[in-house]
Amino acid sequence: MRILNCKTQGLKSQITNHKFQTNSNDRNSNDRNKKSVCNLVLGAWGLFVIWCLVLGILLVACSPKVKAPREKQLTIWHWMTDRQDAFEELARRYEEKKGVKVKFELYAPSDAYRQKVMAAAQSNTLPDIYGILGGKRFFASFVKSGYVADLTAAMKANKAEWESRFFPKALKINEFSKDNEFGVKPGIYAVPLDVMNIQMVYNKSLFKKAGLDPESPPERWEEFIAAAKKIKGKTGIGGLVSGWGEIWMIDCLANNYAFNIMGEEKVMATIKGEVPYTDPAWVRVLDLFKEMSEQGVLVEGIVTMVNKSAEQMFANERAAFAFNGSWCVNVYQGMNPELDYGVMLPPRVSSQNPMVIWGGAGSSFMVNARSQQKEKAIEFLNWLTQKEQQVFLSSQTNNLPANKKSLSDISVVLRQFADDMDNTTHPNIWSVSEYPLVTETFDKGIQSIIINEKTPLEVAKEVQRVKEREMKKSRE
Amino acid sequence: MSKRIISLLKHSFMILISAACIFPLLWMISSSLKTQSTIFSDMSLFVLRPSWQNYITAWVKGNFGIYFLNSVFYTVTIVGGIVLVSSLAAYAFARLEFPFKNFLFLLLLAPMMIPIPGGFVALYVLLNKMHLINTRIGYILPQINAGLAMSIFLLKSFFEKIPRDLEDSARIDGCSRLGIYWHLCLPLAKPALAIVVIYNTLYVWNEYLLAMLILSDKSLMPLTRGLMIFRGEHVTQYPILMAGMCIATIPIIFLYLLMQKHIIKGVMAGAVKG
Repeated sequence: MRILNCKTQGLKSQITNHKFQTNSNDRNSNDRNKKSVCNLVLGAWGLFVIWCLVLGILLVACSPKVKAPREKQLTIWHWMTDRQDAFEELARRYEEKKGVKVKFELYAPSDAYRQKVMAAAQSNTLPDIYGILGGKRFFASFVKSGYVADLTAAMKANKAEWESRFFPKALKINEFSKDNEFGVKPGIYAVPLDVMNIQMVYNKSLFKKAGLDPESPPERWEEFIAAAKKIKGKTGIGGLVSGWGEIWMIDCLANNYAFNIMGEEKVMATIKGEVPYTDPAWVRVLDLFKEMSEQGVLVEGIVTMVNKSAEQMFANERAAFAFNGSWCVNVYQGMNPELDYGVMLPPRVSSQNPMVIWGGAGSSFMVNARSQQKEKAIEFLNWLTQKEQQVFLSSQTNNLPANKKSLSDISVVLRQFADDMDNTTHPNIWSVSEYPLVTETFDKGIQSIIINEKTPLEVAKEVQRVKEREMKKSRE
Repeated sequence: MSKRIISLLKHSFMILISAACIFPLLWMISSSLKTQSTIFSDMSLFVLRPSWQNYITAWVKGNFGIYFLNSVFYTVTIVGGIVLVSSLAAYAFARLEFPFKNFLFLLLLAPMMIPIPGGFVALYVLLNKMHLINTRIGYILPQINAGLAMSIFLLKSFFEKIPRDLEDSARIDGCSRLGIYWHLCLPLAKPALAIVVIYNTLYVWNEYLLAMLILSDKSLMPLTRGLMIFRGEHVTQYPILMAGMCIATIPIIFLYLLMQKHIIKGVMAGAVKG
């Protein structure tokens, strides 16, 4: 810097002299300035043009080879990374059989995929087949905008042969009933590819070590508490693990028990505001979590645990039970292929009502109503959901097939999950929906009960207060 | 004695900070050598039976051959474009007088406040109308645009600090405006240019969302696409993903080491000015 300063000092005196000489020629100096600005602009443009030319040459040199026009192939957009290889294999088989080229294009993660679908819809460049990620309202907006083909006629053709392949609950989520709140023409608008449900899994090896029968998991609440305590006493390993840091999973189990203790009608009546959350049946639901906590059935830190950590814990045999979705089969397979486990429904508290679990369609495909190859696309989806293809997909990806006729050919654990598909429900298919703030207060309240911060009755009263406030707001 | 203790404390603190910075990198390398089952059970950093196969799987299954070249091409072109356009614009804002200069400068800086994902839908519609969807140029141009604001801002403040006397003397020697920019200002702004290059290289090299939006042809995708296929909806193949990340990190580490001297200078200069 010092050298630079010296240099600039010397230059400064030269420049002063120079300025003195040129003071009398101001006009000439201005002209020179203008010229130099012009030179700079011209030079800059020159550089930019050269760069553009270089870029252009590179682009031409590196551009992909000419491809077959898009009309000759079916294009499918999806976000399911772990299914891409299986999809590509099925596409190869379909081309071999029917002579129609199918291209599965993967866009993951799901957030990026959702953005892409929204952008493509706005510019009318959606592919022939695609999936819509989002709630039913979002799905309905696509149908109403004319981006989703009505598949009812195809499903009902040949004595409803296509429709009858699926679990009814899987179709329900892709269906708009008569007088639906979205104003969509009633019908089936998507094809379920697989299904899912959320149940309990238990470690058979730990059952054996504790002297319990691994083929007879607990069916009743008291048996469950006793089994968990026995396993902990004999092996020192905790009872139930789940990702209850993600509160929707707490909501899921609490709803299972609400349906079991009070029945569907009363649950719906509560959502409608006809039954308060302070009703003894709801307090009993909340009390179950207190009981699990007090009896030491829950693993430590369950309230803040994400499901990935919970899965890892169960796979490493550090918990006897886990509350998880059917996708766990794939997860446990990757984490510990030797893990010996079975599937069981959450143990019943009451025998008056059935144990209802959350479940329904896993992922579904829609046909673009504006596609020039609509018929070909429908034909492909029909083929994709046939027994053979569904069994193949299930074997490759460990997901539950949507085709109920393929259950005999899938793995035992998956079949155990699939056996209870008829007992599934999901808030998305209920005729009424709870206020999000009420659900949040309810779920967070359960977390407080587990850490002994609040009593079930306190939580019930708090939830009811929020419910009344929300109802008042919506009336206003 | 007290000086020694202070020095010891200082060094211990710095060692701790360095260890915290290096740990994720070591964990990534260690995980890349484990298997899908041991990664969840073996928590140690040192792998007794390293699985080198993960690197081969990542390279072959992730199509890294094509994606790697694509990423190099995109990074060089985009960063080159950003450096060229932003340095010229920054020089003009720092040295030339023209109407609405400050307003135009603020207008150029405004995009800094809008992240690219915020304008995804609009960008997609625009590129579609220009028939630039699924083309390299459609991926390159928005990224050059995205990198300009920050780079112009950085370079302008650097050019403003170069003594005008130096330019005047060069002019006396017969140097044109462009000559001054090219022979005098640009070389003096090397530390700032290094910051611009490394900052934008990191951004472009790690970019993924825009590629997902604009490109659909596998042969046009960047390296991050190759990494994404190991991340499933519910299952992630961590060892292979980590091996892929190790491969993807090497060029960036190499670039950083290459430009380390200039980067430190640039950061220091910025600190003094601040």
